[in-house]
Amino acid sequence: MEFFHKQTNFDFLRIKWWCIGISWVLILAGLVSVWHKGGYRYGIDFSGGTQLILQFQTKTDVNGIRKTLEELGHGETVIQKFEDEAANQFLIRIQQRKEGEDVTQIVLDGLAEKLAPGSPSKFDLNRKGKKDLSESFHAAGLQAEAAAKAPDANRFYDELAEKVVGARTQKGVFAGVDEAATASGVGPETGQWLKSNTIAGPFVVLSAENVGPQVGKDLQKQATLAVVLSLLGMLAYIAFRFDLKFGVGAVIATIHDILITLAFFSFFNKEITLVVIAAFLTLVGYSVNDTVVVYDRIRENLKGGRGKKIEDVINSSINQTLSRTILTSGATMLAVLALFFFGGDVIHDFAFTLVVGIIVGTYSSIYVAAPVVVIWNEVVAKKKAAAAGGSAMTSR
Amino acid sequence: MKNFTWKWALILGVIAFSVVSYWYNGKQALVRAGKDPDQMTLGEIARNGLKLGLDLKGGIHLVLRVKTDDALRAVTDEEVDRVKRVLKDANVSVREIKRSNDTQFTVFVVLDSDKDRVGKAAEGSADFEADQQGPGWTFKMKAVTIQRLRDETVKQAIQTIRNRIDEFGVSEPVIQPAGGERILVQLPGIDDPARAKRLIKTTAQLYLKIVEAGPAPSKDGLLAAYPGGIPDNLEVVEGEREGGSEDTAAPGSVWWIVRKQAVITGRDLKNAKRSADESQRPTVAFNLNLQGAAKFGQATGENINKRLAIILDGKVKSAPVIESQIHDSGRISGNFTIEKAEDLALVLRSGALPAGIEYLEERTVGPSLGADSIKKGITSSFLGIFFVYVFMLIYYKGAGTNAAIALTLNAIILIGVMANFGATMTLPGIAGFILTIGMAVDSNVLIFERIREELRGGKTVRSAIDAGFSKAFATIIDTHITILISAAFLFQFGTGPVKGFAVTLTIGLIASVFTAVFVSRFLFDWWHRNEERIEHLSI
Repeated sequence: MEFFHKQTNFDFLRIKWWCIGISWVLILAGLVSVWHKGGYRYGIDFSGGTQLILQFQTKTDVNGIRKTLEELGHGETVIQKFEDEAANQFLIRIQQRKEGEDVTQIVLDGLAEKLAPGSPSKFDLNRKGKKDLSESFHAAGLQAEAAAKAPDANRFYDELAEKVVGARTQKGVFAGVDEAATASGVGPETGQWLKSNTIAGPFVVLSAENVGPQVGKDLQKQATLAVVLSLLGMLAYIAFRFDLKFGVGAVIATIHDILITLAFFSFFNKEITLVVIAAFLTLVGYSVNDTVVVYDRIRENLKGGRGKKIEDVINSSINQTLSRTILTSGATMLAVLALFFFGGDVIHDFAFTLVVGIIVGTYSSIYVAAPVVVIWNEVVAKKKAAAAGGSAMTSR
Repeated sequence: MKNFTWKWALILGVIAFSVVSYWYNGKQALVRAGKDPDQMTLGEIARNGLKLGLDLKGGIHLVLRVKTDDALRAVTDEEVDRVKRVLKDANVSVREIKRSNDTQFTVFVVLDSDKDRVGKAAEGSADFEADQQGPGWTFKMKAVTIQRLRDETVKQAIQTIRNRIDEFGVSEPVIQPAGGERILVQLPGIDDPARAKRLIKTTAQLYLKIVEAGPAPSKDGLLAAYPGGIPDNLEVVEGEREGGSEDTAAPGSVWWIVRKQAVITGRDLKNAKRSADESQRPTVAFNLNLQGAAKFGQATGENINKRLAIILDGKVKSAPVIESQIHDSGRISGNFTIEKAEDLALVLRSGALPAGIEYLEERTVGPSLGADSIKKGITSSFLGIFFVYVFMLIYYKGAGTNAAIALTLNAIILIGVMANFGATMTLPGIAGFILTIGMAVDSNVLIFERIREELRGGKTVRSAIDAGFSKAFATIIDTHITILISAAFLFQFGTGPVKGFAVTLTIGLIASVFTAVFVSRFLFDWWHRNEERIEHLSI
């Protein structure tokens, strides 16, 4: 199969000013959106705060949780559904008030108390860890004969605890103590002990993150530094391998890609987190990658002979590499789409960045990087003409 | 004909290396977790071949700050005491010693003629520099000392935390300095962050001091007995009220006056473990080392019928009456749960922290989210690779098979190298893996498109293949280097999951140069090895 049977010959650069126009419109629209929405949405990595992902025992609705948190005095909170709707999983984000507070514990205990009064002080099977369970089993002397026969009593109780915790991991959350008591591998004696001494609290903590304001600021600085240095690194490498004007073209194309992707982040209210920054850095690499392929071909074609108009050379270079560009973007896009649709919520924003970025990156290699080289050439040629006075070679 | 043997050997060797690395890594991981080598199943080894990041395995990631200022303050306190003693011995009347901050204080003497004495006292100090400023002498801690103390405090904190975590029973914990006063702690597999955090944070300063007065319900009531202020050798300490239920002290505090000089401190303990008192409530039983036992024996012998305050982290936990001379063991009771008693025994065994600790960053992933992430990661990986395979096969036919084989090899090498280096696979790492596959296709596409172009231009099959590979090579190198530059910065800047991404991306890209250039080429050559002149190339 072949999409590009013979060499294509589109005059890409003819519409370059239109495309530059579209780019500017998108970038400006992005800036307006950011201004209108009051900035980007930052994850707690950069803004500091607490983020909890909880799986509730019973059907809960967002408003109920929000009210409870407000009653506990935590101010502005963001609550959204996470992953599996049917499984009652929610993501909760709370702003950090000051350094040093263990907000996580306070919120979790507060929430537990509201939903199931008295539960924080009881042995909650949905919140206690394997070690606690193991020690309690040990202290209660459950299954004493089996434990005595085992080579290591601690290990024996650890494994017993693992049966209960494993069941919880499978189910997600225990609806009641009975589910734990009847888990496989839990004997009747232990089951009885569980029924009399433990409860199944209102939620399981799937993940908890807390970032202090200082760390948040540090990460912001580091992220910006990483991106800026990356760009400079690219510029240096390309200027070295090709020519300064190519380097500048590549960097401008990449900045263009970053700005447009950020615009889409603002349009769709996506969140900027550490992982997203990783996606942006990948984008930088990928965009330059794409641009380099076109430049490579331009360089090769330029060697072929002088006297060709640079715009024609670039046009034919783009045409020659078109098949490869579309195909590679297509292939990478297939891989990224797999991530986007099937990778889950945690990695979703990362995939989004790449989906937008690959499209924009491919576009920019043709309509930003190449035109920059052309325009640079024109400007330089005009200057030379002006300096030399009289006739000189100008590009059309 | 070309010598295919060594090329086959190389490729098979690389595959074997990868598989063996993965298998060996898996085995080692299971051994470290305490499994018996003879009882390992292949399935188990397969599941443990790669080290998993916290976001896949579940666990806790903590960044904490050691409040080294506490340590500086403690040393300055000692210096103040020393200067006081020296001046007292020299019969100098001190008017006032004013503390400016954690590392600086100023001494004011009554008589001007005594000022020189202060200077002399200063000379005896290795860590402080003294300067006469106006009416007083200002003592400042040397910059060198400040740095040394900060470093030592962090080192000591790391050691203490490591002791505690060892006892807590975490396999493969990570405890390392993270710049300045920060320490990074990672505990894989731990599912109760609250307890681990408490454990690490407890300073666990233990002092046993003789009680002179108390318990009294209010501080003022107690001090009323000392109209002139309490003497120098005594101090006031707050304590928990006796009674109360398991885990919660009775409301309100009580106050005690105790002797400043401790009978024994945490350092005198030989061992501590959880036990139970007469009413079966959890307590912590401890015994003392030789010097400790001697001090304890003497103190209890001299103070029968007085109370002994057990002070933990600045609060009196309990203050039993000394009924008879005790030599080498004792018991701490209070409102303990089994878990709290267990933890207290643990921290006493591990030693006190040299300074307070503050948590700057905390990330916990529970086991179910981790398992979920793994599942999703593997599903999307397979799907991504599958899509790409199908695409390559349809679009490039025979040559597409080459590419598919090269890609598979790429994946195998990536996993093998990661296993060999003990690199960690994280969720972004899986994303990086998928991305590498997509981009490895790029190299193949560059080559194949070039070959097609050369064929269109009229070259023979063999020379088209040659030209395709050689002309595309320079571009392949360029494109890989640009992404590697990005990955390098990512590695530098990222933590945990993001670093994992940079690692898989880098290894994957380097492997893809090998597979796209060497392996693909080899497959072409080998496939057509028996043809003098290749008639038709399936591309």
